Amino acid sequence: MASLRFSVIDYYILTKHRIINWLNIVKMVLRHGPYDIIRELRRYPWILEFLKVNHLMTRLTRGRSGPYRKAVAAVITDVTRGVIELLEGIFHHSDMLVIHEDMVPPEILRAMGLYPWMPELLGILLPMLEPGAMEQYIDCAENEGVPPDICSLPKATMGLSLMDVIPRGLAIVTSNLPCDGGMSSYILMEQRMGLPTFRLDVPFHFKEDRAADYFARELRSMIEWLEARTPGTMDWQKLREICDERNRMVEREQELWEMIRIRPAPMAAEAVYMSHLWSFNVFPGTASGTRLFERISELAMENLEKGAQVVPDEKYRALLWNPPTLHTIDLFNWAEKEYGVSCIMDSMSFNRLPVIDTSTEESMLKGLARTIMEGPMARHTRGPAENYFDDMYYISKTFNIDMIWVAGHVGCKNTQALSGMLREKCREWGMPLLIIDYDLSDPRIEPREGIFSQVAHFMENIMKAEKLT
Amino acid sequence: MNNYFTSLLEETENPLITEAVDQGYIPVGYTCSYVPDVLLTLGDIFPVRLRAPGITGTEMADTYLSSVICSFSRSILEYFMDGRYDFLQGTVCTAGCDHLRRLYDNLEYLAKPAFNYILDVPHRISENALDWFVKELHTFIEALSRQYGVSVDDDILLNAIEAHNAFHGTLRSIGNLRLQDNPPLTGAQFHRLLLASLVTPRHLFMKELETYRQSLNEMKGARNIRARLMLVGCQLDDPEYIATIESQGGLVVADRFCTGSLPGLEDIEITGDPVTSIARHYLGRTNCPRMMEDFNKRFNYIVDQAKRYRVDGVIIEAVKFCDIWGVEMTPMVSALRKASIPVLRLEREYRHSGEGQLRTRVQAFLESMGR
Repeated sequence: MASLRFSVIDYYILTKHRIINWLNIVKMVLRHGPYDIIRELRRYPWILEFLKVNHLMTRLTRGRSGPYRKAVAAVITDVTRGVIELLEGIFHHSDMLVIHEDMVPPEILRAMGLYPWMPELLGILLPMLEPGAMEQYIDCAENEGVPPDICSLPKATMGLSLMDVIPRGLAIVTSNLPCDGGMSSYILMEQRMGLPTFRLDVPFHFKEDRAADYFARELRSMIEWLEARTPGTMDWQKLREICDERNRMVEREQELWEMIRIRPAPMAAEAVYMSHLWSFNVFPGTASGTRLFERISELAMENLEKGAQVVPDEKYRALLWNPPTLHTIDLFNWAEKEYGVSCIMDSMSFNRLPVIDTSTEESMLKGLARTIMEGPMARHTRGPAENYFDDMYYISKTFNIDMIWVAGHVGCKNTQALSGMLREKCREWGMPLLIIDYDLSDPRIEPREGIFSQVAHFMENIMKAEKLT
Repeated sequence: MNNYFTSLLEETENPLITEAVDQGYIPVGYTCSYVPDVLLTLGDIFPVRLRAPGITGTEMADTYLSSVICSFSRSILEYFMDGRYDFLQGTVCTAGCDHLRRLYDNLEYLAKPAFNYILDVPHRISENALDWFVKELHTFIEALSRQYGVSVDDDILLNAIEAHNAFHGTLRSIGNLRLQDNPPLTGAQFHRLLLASLVTPRHLFMKELETYRQSLNEMKGARNIRARLMLVGCQLDDPEYIATIESQGGLVVADRFCTGSLPGLEDIEITGDPVTSIARHYLGRTNCPRMMEDFNKRFNYIVDQAKRYRVDGVIIEAVKFCDIWGVEMTPMVSALRKASIPVLRLEREYRHSGEGQLRTRVQAFLESMGR
C-alpha cells in the first residue's frame, strides 16, 4: 500500500512539473506571438531542443522518489523558467543584450540594466536535452579549421558563432578563463561577430593579496567600457541588492552541504550540482535562486528527519571531478540503482567562497573579483596544481567520500596533464580513482554505453561492488 | 662555422655550457619568450633556453602529462626525467599557456629542481597589467638574489640591458642580411645561429658570433631563389624543419616564431626605471596569441614584416595540441588571404617528423603561388 502511495505521489510530482514547464513555454509563445516565435526559431533553431525538457526531467527523476524526486524536478523546472527568461532577453531586449563568456558572472551586467547572454550555455544545456545536439556545431568549427583537439565546449560555441546562430548583442565581455581553448575561442568569435570586446585578465597568482585589487580594477575597467558602449549604467544599489541576495544563496547552499555530509546522504546528484551550476553561474543573486536552494534544503531536511536516504541502498559516496558528463547526464541516476552510488559533491559546485562585503563599491568589486578568481574552473584550471589536489583532498575528507570519479574530458588539457600526479596522489591517500575517458559535448568520442561500461568495470573490479539490479 | 653551431645544438649540455660551468657560471633554464632572459644574465647566471634536441619519444612524460599536451612540453619533461638537464641549477617557467603551466607543475612534482620559478605574465597589455608585471619582476629578482647571491641595483640592471641589447644588435645585424635580394645565409643557417645564441653562455658565444659576422661579408648570396618565405608560429627549435622547407627551393627570410628573430631581437628600450623598461619590453614584444586582445596587432606585424622582407608567402606552423595557436590560425589564415598574402598552414609535432609530407605540402604551396 505504501509503495502504491509513493508511486501515485511520484507520478503527481512529475506530472505537476511537466505541466508547469509546458505552461511556462506556452506563456512565452503567447507573450511573443506565434509569428515572431517562428521567426526566432528560424534564426535560432536550437531553441527547439528546449522542448525536450520534460523528457530530460523524466530521465533524471526515473526511479527516484519522494523529496529527492521533488528536488530534481524543482531544479529542472527552475532551469526551464530561467531559459525562458534568457530567451525573452533575446526576443525583447536585443538593444540591451551583452554576450558574456561563461566565467564572467552576470551580476555586474544585471546591475547595469543589461541583459546577459552566455553562448557556452547552449553547449552545456543542449547535450543534456539531446546528446548529439552539438555535433553539427563542432563539425562546423572543425571544418573551418579549428583543431579537433580543442575542448568541445568552446569548439561548439565557435561553431554556433560561425553558423550565425548566436544572438548578436551589443558587445562581448570575456576573460582569459577557464583555459586556453576557451580564451582563444573569443578571438575567432570577435572576428566573426564584429562586436566590440572587453577581456578580463585573471592573474595566475590569484591568492596573493594584490590579486583582488588587480582584478577589481579590471572589473571597474569593464564597467566603464560597457558604460561607454552600451546604454547600461552602473547602479551600485542594484549591485548591492544582487550581492546581498547572492550571499543568501551561499548561506542556503551551505546549509544543504552540511546536511549532505551525513551518511547516508539526504540529498545528492543533480539536486546538488545542477542547482549550483545553474543558480551560481547563470542566475546568481536572484530571489529565484535563493528560493531553489531553500526548497532543496527543506526537502533534504525532510529526508533527514524521516531518516530517509535518497539512494535507498547507499553504499558508495562519490566525488565527481570536472563538469558532469553532459550527454550522459543520467549517469548518477543509473549508478545509484546499479551500484548504490551517491554523487555527493562535485568540483563545479564546491567552493570556499567568501560572502561578498557589500559595504562599499570597492568591497563589492573585490568580493566579486574573489568569487571569479576562486570559481571552480578558474582556480583549478588557471591556478597551480596544488589548488586542484588540495580541494580534492579537502572535499574527500569533509564529505566522507569513498571514491573519486574524474569525468576525464579528452579536450580538457589542464586536467589531462595532471592525470599522472592524480593517480599517485590518490594511491597515497588510499582513495579509489576512476577516470572516465569521454568528451564533454560530443558523444561520438565515447557514447553513453561506453561510459556505463567504464564505470561498471571500475565498480566491479576496483570497488568489488555487486550489482543491485 | 655552421658545423660549429650545429655541434652546439646536438645535446642539451654543449661544450660552451660545460666550459662556463667549470668557470663557476650558473646555468638556469627557461621555457618561454616571456621570461626576461636579460634578468638571467645577472651576476654569474646565464640563460639556457629549454629544448629537447634529438628526442625520439616521450613515453615517461606521457604518463604524467598525457598524450594530449603539446609535444614540446612533453619532450622537455621527458628530458628532465631522463636526467638530461641535471646540469641546470634552476628553471624558470611562465604561466604562458596551459601546457607550460602544467609542465611547471609536473617539473615541481617529478624533477624537484632546486630553483623552480613560475612567472605570472598578464594576458593583456594595460597600465594595470604592466603594474602587475613590474611587481612580479621585482619579486623574481628578489628570488634570484636569494637563490644565487646576485646583487641587483639600477646600475647593474642598466648594464645588463646594455649588454643584452649589444648581443641582440650583433645577431640582428646578421638577421638583417636576409633583407638582401640574395642573402648570404639561409633561413636554416640563421636559425641554427640564433638557437645556439639561446643555449650558450653569451660571454663565450660572442667571440664566435663576431667571427661569423665577419665571414659572412665574404660569402656569396643565394641564387635561384624560388620564393621568399616568412615562417610564423610557435615553439620551433629545429633548424632541420626549416632546411626541409628550403629544400624545395624557397628561402625562409623572416622568422616570426617563439625562438625567431622577429620580434625576438628587438632592443629593450629604457624608459624610466630599468625594471619597468624590462616589463614593458617583454609584455609588449613577444606577441604570442596568448595575449588575448592583440589579434590585429599580430596580423599587422606579419603584414608589415612580409612587406619589409618582400616575402612571396607565409607559412604558419603550430605544434599539435597548442590551443592558442590552433585557434589563432583559423582567423589569421583568413585575414592573410583577404590581404592577398598566400598562406600555408602546417600542424606539426615538436620532434621533426613527416619530412616527406612537409616537402609535398611546401612544394604544392610554391606551385600554387606560381613559383
